[in-house]
This record gives sequence, structure tokens and C-alpha cells, in this order.
Amino acid sequence: MPAAFTIAAHHIRRVIRNPGLILLLLAIPLTLAVIEYAAFGRTAAAGTLPPATVLFLDEDDTLLSSALPQVFSGGPAKDFFELSQVPDKAEAARLFRRGQAAALIVVPKGFQNAVLEGTRAELGFYPNPVQSVGPEIARSMIEMTALIGNGLYAKALDPIAQIRTLMQANREPTADEVAAISRGFFEAGRRFSSLQGLNGLTVGVKRPGASAVKTGFGNEPGQFFAYVFPGLVVFGLLFIAQALAMRLMRDRLRGLQRRLVITPAGPTAVIMGGVIYTVVALFALLIFLALIGAVVFRIQLRDPASLIAIGAGFAIFASGLHLLSMALATSDRGAGFVGSVIVLVLSLVGGSFVPAEQFPPFLRSLAVLVPNGAAQQGFIDILVHNASLAAVGGRLAIVWAWGLTVMGLAVYFEQRRLRS
Amino acid sequence: MIDVSGLRKKYGDIEALKGVSFHVGAGEIYGLLGPNGAGKSTAIGILCGLVRPDAGQATLNGLDISRKPIDARRVLGVVPQEVALYTELSARDNLAFFGRLYGLGGTGLSSAIDRVLAKVSLSDRAKEPIEGFSGGMLRRLNIAAGLLHDPKVVLMDEPTVGLDPQTRASILDLVRSVAASGAAVVYTTHYLDEAERLCDRIGIIDHGSILAEGTLLELRQAAGAREIIALRGLFTVDAVTREMGSHPEYELVKVSDSELLLTVQHAEQQLAGLLAIAATLGTVREVAIRQPSLESLFIKLTGRELRE
Repeated sequence: MPAAFTIAAHHIRRVIRNPGLILLLLAIPLTLAVIEYAAFGRTAAAGTLPPATVLFLDEDDTLLSSALPQVFSGGPAKDFFELSQVPDKAEAARLFRRGQAAALIVVPKGFQNAVLEGTRAELGFYPNPVQSVGPEIARSMIEMTALIGNGLYAKALDPIAQIRTLMQANREPTADEVAAISRGFFEAGRRFSSLQGLNGLTVGVKRPGASAVKTGFGNEPGQFFAYVFPGLVVFGLLFIAQALAMRLMRDRLRGLQRRLVITPAGPTAVIMGGVIYTVVALFALLIFLALIGAVVFRIQLRDPASLIAIGAGFAIFASGLHLLSMALATSDRGAGFVGSVIVLVLSLVGGSFVPAEQFPPFLRSLAVLVPNGAAQQGFIDILVHNASLAAVGGRLAIVWAWGLTVMGLAVYFEQRRLRS
Repeated sequence: MIDVSGLRKKYGDIEALKGVSFHVGAGEIYGLLGPNGAGKSTAIGILCGLVRPDAGQATLNGLDISRKPIDARRVLGVVPQEVALYTELSARDNLAFFGRLYGLGGTGLSSAIDRVLAKVSLSDRAKEPIEGFSGGMLRRLNIAAGLLHDPKVVLMDEPTVGLDPQTRASILDLVRSVAASGAAVVYTTHYLDEAERLCDRIGIIDHGSILAEGTLLELRQAAGAREIIALRGLFTVDAVTREMGSHPEYELVKVSDSELLLTVQHAEQQLAGLLAIAATLGTVREVAIRQPSLESLFIKLTGRELRE
């Protein structure tokens, strides 16, 4: 056994001296975590979708057209829009190309006249063709606003007719006429508003209060990362394990493994040296990532013993998986291909990319049965839900059962290969 | 030092070794020659403890490699054909790692490294990563890694492949010095001239059996005085076999549609007659005459050249 440790220490020393690929792979979960935070962190905190930037071009330049932006930037629409005025369509096109706007609303010349004359009044809506979600949100909101506007218009036909008459007469209104028009709009507004209280039917939207926002994912990055980081770490470690094991495969193809086997160390020590090397290196990298998570992403590392128990089991599984594919493969390309496919399938099924809670029921139950899914969920249970070791015992058992089985198979097939 | 007796090994239906036996004494260099697929690698694999024989026994310094593999490996130094070294490490670090696996440590390991580095003339490059080493330097370091623990038995598997004559010569000197220090050396090579210059005794192996064994002198005598004529061109195998059967003065060793190998008593005198016969059997494009040598014995015994 001392020879196995000598061999393991030797392999680890080689990784430390030549860490290029491992460092590159370590950056994957870290980079993905930062990207996910940038994309979803704020949204998760607010409990709403991110606002879409909508451009506004006023070609009519009238009292009514200049009032329209307030329709979109006030009331319920304000959560969905960030309105930005543009001088012309060329500027809008430039912002579209840069991906800085989801849509353009154009108020065409003659809009106010059309409204007052009761003829068809159209607003132009131009979605950004290179975006998908933002333009659809903007379209929905503008259609809803148009619907409300048409309802209000129907209730205010009298005062609008009075304005039209005054404009056609081309004279200043009297004080009584202004009062009548104002009263007409007030009545229209009152009648329209009463629709919202129809039979007392209301929709109560409960938004997080001040205290709730403080503990949200976005305002508390640690909470957000505690939720997304474990999946990314598990995904990254599967690839790092492959890179570690691939070094052994290349040693084998270069005759180095054979040279070790014919020393007094013998085949068992050579195999166990490889096992110790991959498991220890992977576990050390897992600890490193966890510390990065704590220091950089402010994840609170609750219950370290439970985290270590799951991490060690997963390190054994990930190492065993790739050592097994190496034992069965005859070339590094074959082993690399098979290993990559398995990692991607496991990551998809285990919920590394899409949270398992979004899966249909069958896949959701499958996700926690695969080792990476069980490890990921175990980490989340501890880090986010403050679960105890006993509470994650099932997940721990799944991870270790997979780990010991796969590693056992890897050792068996490698021994068989060396003796054949 | 090395005693091999009655080694047999089958892979499925293929009998790789059919009762191979040989002995190599202390300070002796034994050349094991054979074409590809002759059984050399299987024999070497058994001596290293990598392959378990179906029958027979191989002992190294009195230790049965199948029964006491760890003890036997302690007295065994292997120089593999490929350069099996860690290119990202220095020469010294490579040797230190292999030394530890042989149980060396501390000052013993350090002095052993210094000794073998001096032996292979790499002392001044000891601390450099070996990825910058030339092919010859890598080969020498490859040998050094096999000699680090001062083994009593050394297996060298074509250690000079692909090297220039000067480097080859220096490696042959190194092998001689290893034997001179009392080690038993088994040396495999594709270079017959190398075997002739280096080996005290030579075994020719083919189809899993030792076909001939002895000193160079003994083998040359066994080859007899017959010379070899090689004809290259285009031939019809059946016609050649039929026709040459009626000319006992030409002993047909090998025939293919592109080459004929024959042994004759006096090549210069018999060449014209042979060419006349060959002209009726195909087209001759190249003729070569070889004097009696280890090569001619090898061809006579195996029907093949060593490089095949």
C-alpha cells in the first residue's frame, strides 16, 4: 500500500506542476455561476421578470402622443418596461443591432387627430428580430394597454366629441365648455374604474415586503449561489475527473503504466495509486470550489461534515466513472468520447443545467436517483434549506452506493485488463 | 541468473510459446532474436511477470517470477522499447520516482541517481525537464531508469531503435558495462549486426520455439557455408515451388509473388543458372548475394528477415 501512496503522490505532484487544463476546467463552474447570477440573480430577488427596454418614437408630437409614455412607464406596466425615447428609426435600428432594446413603439403622425375624429388610430409596434422573450412581453403589454385605452375611449365619447367640435370651430373654449369636457372625462374615468370592482372581484398580488426582499436570492448572493452553485460544481467536477483520469490513460498509451507494473509495486498498487490520486485530487478541488463559493459568492457552508460526506462520495463516483471508461477503452479518444457523453447525459438528467424541480414528475424522481443529481440536491438541501445529515441521508446513500459500485467495477476491469 | 524452462502460453487458439527454454548466466548478454510475432514479447512479458505462463517456469536470480513476483521484480531491471518517462519532469525527478518504487530512499536514492546519470552521461542535464531532450538522451535516461536499483537481471527490449550510429554505439558500450558489473542481460534487437557485436550468446525464436541457440561462432557454423541469393521481382508462387523442387542445388527458403530467397553453395557460380530458371518463372528486377552470417542462418531458420 505505501507504493500506492507513492504513486498517488507522484501523480498529484505532476498535476500541481502542470495544472493548465485542470485550472481551465475549474473556471467552468465559477464562470457559469457568475453568468447565472448576472442573468437571473436580480430577477430572483424581485420575484418579477427582468424589465424589457422599449423604445418610443413620437412622430405625432401632440399633447396626446406626448402623454403616451406615461401610460407605459406608470401603473402596472412600469414593472415590465423601461421606456427610452429615440429621435428616429435609425437610432432605434442601431440599438436593436446592439441588443439594447426589445421593441420600438411608434406614434405616427396624425395619431391625435385620428383619436379625436373617431377614426382608426394605430400605434406602430416593431419587435427586435434578434430577441425573443423581451419583444413578446412588450407586445403583450401594449396590446393590453390598447384594450384598456379602447375601453376608456368608449366611455369618453361625449367629451371627445366636444373637443372635436371645438377644434373644427377653431376657437378658444369657454370656461363652461372646459368644465363640461373635464366633467365628461371624470365621469368616463369613474364609469371605467367601476368595472375593476365588478362584484367585488379583485386580484390581490402579494409582493415581497422589505424584509422578504432582503433575503431574496438577488439581494443575498449567497442564497442565490447556494442554489445554483452545487449543480455547476458537480458538473465541473465530472469533467475535471475526466481530465485527471485521462492523464492515466495517456500514461498507459505511452507505456508508463506497464513500466510501473513491472516494478516491485505491482499492478494492485498501480491501480490503487490511480484511484487515490483521482479521488484525492478531485476531493481537494471540490473543497477549493467550496471555499471559493464561501469567499467569493458568500455561500454559508452549513454543516461541513455533511457536505464533506456527500463530496467524498461524489469524488469517488466521478473518479470511478472515468477510471471505468479508461479501463474499458482502448484509446484515449474513445475513452474521452464515452466519458463526455456520459457526463452530459448525467448532467441533463441530474439537473445541472435546468433545476430538477422544473422537470416533469418522472424525470424529477429520476434526477435524484442519479449520483450527480442526488449530490447536487443534497448540497442544496444543506446549504439552502439548512437540512441535517439525517435529512440528507437518503441522498448520501445514493451517492455512496453509486460511487462504490462504479469504483469497484473500475478496479475490477482494470485488474482484468492488466492481467490479460 | 535467468532460467527459463518449458514456457508455454496460448492466446485462444494461437500458441505463442511452445516450450521455450534458455539460460543466461551472470555477466552474460543473451540476444533474443525473432521476427514480429515470433513469441519474443510473450517471453519478455513472462520474465517481467506481466504474463502468466500456462506451463513452464521462469526464475530470476533463483526467484520464480510467477510465485514470488514482488521479490523477483526487485532484482529485475527492465528497459522498455518505448521511452516510458514523464516528460514534464526532470531527469532526476523521473529517476527519484522509479527509485522509490524499488524501495530506495534518502542518500541511497540520491547516490544511485548520481551514479546512473553519470553512467549515461546526463549528469549536467539532471535538473532540466526532459521534454527538451534529444531522442538519444531520452533513450539513455530510459536505460538509466532500468538500472537505478542495480539489478542482477536486466531485460532490454530494442533499446537502440531509431537512433543514429554514434548513439547506438554509446548504448552498446553501456550494455557491455552493465554485463561487466555482473548482471545477466537479455537483449532483443532487430539489428543483427548489433547482436553479432554485443551478445555472448544468441537465441533465435520463431513460431513460439527457440530454433537455434549458441555463441555467434556456433551459430555461424550451424549456418554452414551456404550463401544466400535474394531475387526480387514478379513471380508465380506455384510455378516457382514446382520448378525449384527439381533443382536440389538451389534450396528454396522463401517464396512470395515479389521475392525468392535461396541458399546455394557458390553463389557467383550458380547465379547465372538460377537467373535462367527464374526468367521462365517471372520477372527478375533485383538480385542480391549475401555471405554466410547470422542473417543467413536467421533467414534459413525462419524463412524471414528479422525486420519482417
